[in-house]
Amino acid sequence: MSTLVLDNGAYFAKIGYSHEKVSVIPNCQFRSKTSRLKTFTANQLDEIKDPSGLFYILPFQKGYLVNWDVQRKVWDHLFGKEMFKVDFADTNIVITEPYFNFSSIQESMNEILFEDYQFQSVLRVNAGSLSAHRYFHENNSELCCIVVDSGFSSTHIVPYCRGRKMKEGICRINVGGKLLTNHLKEIISYRQLHVMDETYVINQVKEDVCYVSQDFYKDMEISQLKGEDNTVVTEYVLPDFSSIKKGFCKPREEMNFTGKYKTGEQVLRLTNERFAVPEMLFHPSDIGIQEMGIPEALVHSINNMPEEMQPHFYKNIVLTGGSALFPGYRDRVYKEVRALAPVEYEVSVVLPLNPVCYPWEGGKLLAENPDFEELVVTREDYEENGHYVCEEKFDV
Amino acid sequence: MAEKKTTGNRASIRSQDPNQRRVLDSMTRHRRLTRQLEALEKDNFQDDPHASLPQLVKRLPQFDESNESGKRRKKTRGDHFKQRFRKNFQALLEEEDLSVSEGPNYLIACAEPSKFPQRHFCAVCGFPSNYTCVSCGARYCCVRCLGTHHETRCLKWTV
Repeated sequence: MSTLVLDNGAYFAKIGYSHEKVSVIPNCQFRSKTSRLKTFTANQLDEIKDPSGLFYILPFQKGYLVNWDVQRKVWDHLFGKEMFKVDFADTNIVITEPYFNFSSIQESMNEILFEDYQFQSVLRVNAGSLSAHRYFHENNSELCCIVVDSGFSSTHIVPYCRGRKMKEGICRINVGGKLLTNHLKEIISYRQLHVMDETYVINQVKEDVCYVSQDFYKDMEISQLKGEDNTVVTEYVLPDFSSIKKGFCKPREEMNFTGKYKTGEQVLRLTNERFAVPEMLFHPSDIGIQEMGIPEALVHSINNMPEEMQPHFYKNIVLTGGSALFPGYRDRVYKEVRALAPVEYEVSVVLPLNPVCYPWEGGKLLAENPDFEELVVTREDYEENGHYVCEEKFDV
Repeated sequence: MAEKKTTGNRASIRSQDPNQRRVLDSMTRHRRLTRQLEALEKDNFQDDPHASLPQLVKRLPQFDESNESGKRRKKTRGDHFKQRFRKNFQALLEEEDLSVSEGPNYLIACAEPSKFPQRHFCAVCGFPSNYTCVSCGARYCCVRCLGTHHETRCLKWTV
């Protein structure tokens, strides 16, 4: 009886058997202008020779699974012969779903997993619960923790106490990796080069070049300087997929400050975009979204909790999700929360080594837990009782 | 006698008569902002490259009788899935009928407006801005950026 752990994210699916390593695979289908007949699924992305103007077909919308056609095709590919070769009758699956998932989606997922794929048993959890489980596994003495999951569609802030999530404290900020990439595309298209079609390339630019600044206004002033004093500006060489396969930053020595470029290369000159784009996680109002940023929402969420628990939450803040990979993210969150939190409480912010796979590792630990058998719903259970037993058992 | 330079490469930016430029009211400005934010949620800005191709005939008609009943059953199940599961996010949210249930739900979990004041950035260069365009309400930081804004974006598309 093996257990498959699948962290079903809106952008990446983190999947692997609990006794093996995790693979991070795009959870969508791609279509390319150049190869007109084929639709590429998940990790077939590597087969595409020309990823310019790549068209994404994502099964998720606003963080919720709405398009089952695409999701089933991706799952067929992942569970099939080329990838994990799942033997359904003999496998348990641990699968993640979003917070406050709609009941129609939950029922569809039950149907598809039990009746279509026919897994032996299923456990549906929130991704944050797996992160919390992993955190408590490492720090046995702590009672509460608060998980900040900054993902593709949105950022969720979820407090956990003794392993159960506290629904009153869940806070959702509608800013995620997708918004940051789209915003970066818009400003580059307006100021320099039309890249509105190039989601894949600009996502790469965002990951390579953007960082979170510790002192926003000071960085703004530095980026306005001319010549050598300007330490913020970088030049990014765009890939053209024939000679340059992947974009890269030009090293400082080669940078031409007078502004004349060598022919043949397409270069982007990025100054304040480097730190203004991740700043949207901390101040969504910069772009017009009237919501709190991450530090404010953290404090707001903790204030909704009972007073005795609040110092425990401040001591155990865990950052997960893809957007946690920006350099300087953890220090900035610590600085802002420390400024907003009461002075007598101790504040501690933890950024794990691999924020993207942290929930998956929690799932792996959960699968090896002796209590695992009691948490899952088996296929016989489901066939006898229907959706009701899943609703009762899974705390979503 | 010095001639007033209205033509040539340095036309004064302020030569546009304020009475001739349309001023948008706050409702229109709000609608524009909502439009911009919705555009940020899009997955793709280009059209599906496969949309214009003719649909390939995937399933050739099979005349083998023994297979027909099995195939028909499979076909209806596939269609059933497609029809049921093709709702978009908005429809699912309304279906959920959240006003009925108690306790925290998807809508309540959304973050509230920030207590800190909003910061404004120049729409052209991205640095902190101090001034607002009279016509459309966009921010700019210096007169040069205002010129670029008038030439490229101001009132170029309206809601």
